[in-house]
Amino acid sequence: MKRVEIKLNISAVAPLLDVIKQAADDLRGSLAIRATFPENDEEFNETWTSELLAGQNSDVRELLGLFGSEFFAEGSIAIDSPNSDSLLRGCSALRIQILTHWLQGIPADLLEDEDVPPEAIADELRVPFAAYTFLDQVQKIILEHLDPTAAEA
Amino acid sequence: MAETKTKKTPRPAPAPQTQRAEVWRVVVLNDPVNRMSYVVMVLRRVFGFAEERARKHMLAIHETGRSVLWSGTREQAEAYVFALQQWHLTAVVQPEHAA
Repeated sequence: MKRVEIKLNISAVAPLLDVIKQAADDLRGSLAIRATFPENDEEFNETWTSELLAGQNSDVRELLGLFGSEFFAEGSIAIDSPNSDSLLRGCSALRIQILTHWLQGIPADLLEDEDVPPEAIADELRVPFAAYTFLDQVQKIILEHLDPTAAEA
Repeated sequence: MAETKTKKTPRPAPAPQTQRAEVWRVVVLNDPVNRMSYVVMVLRRVFGFAEERARKHMLAIHETGRSVLWSGTREQAEAYVFALQQWHLTAVVQPEHAA
């Protein structure tokens, strides 16, 4: 089983967790991306939504679980193959929510730029933006080091 | 001479044609959040595509806003769309004639 341990600067990451936790709270009752339904059937659509929501909540919990007391004691998070799918999806859901809640006004080219100078972002948006890019980097590390496609049929 | 009347044999009514099963498409739409390598990984996982094929679809999604990933039965299309939505990609099922 592959395992990646990421050493983080606690004082840099801690403020980002406030944004990430707020985004997680926002997502508890709603999907990051509005579901589109193949059927015009209310009951079917409710089941569809509730199953997606249950999965999303589970993924986000898994991600938040990385930042518990162990993280604050050791300053590191550990990612291994069994939890990598949940973490990838959790990062995606939270990034979408952070974008929706805080970063709608930021141009797409800045959002996609990995080397944005801090002064390019308004003061009040710097922490949400940093949380958005932090989760992107977590995803990037998982994709580069854990080869999630290895699980394909 | 007895006149022979040719009786018209009633033609059997055409058997009802088996209605062709409608073909449904799985379409993925562009989104501003998910990184390209993530989309490629999801397409490989969900559809079992090889890297190159997944990358082609990802680029089509990125450049034109959408790509048709699969077509076939409605049931299977729905299953694919559900799986894609679990990964937070924007995916829809469309009947082929509507495209």
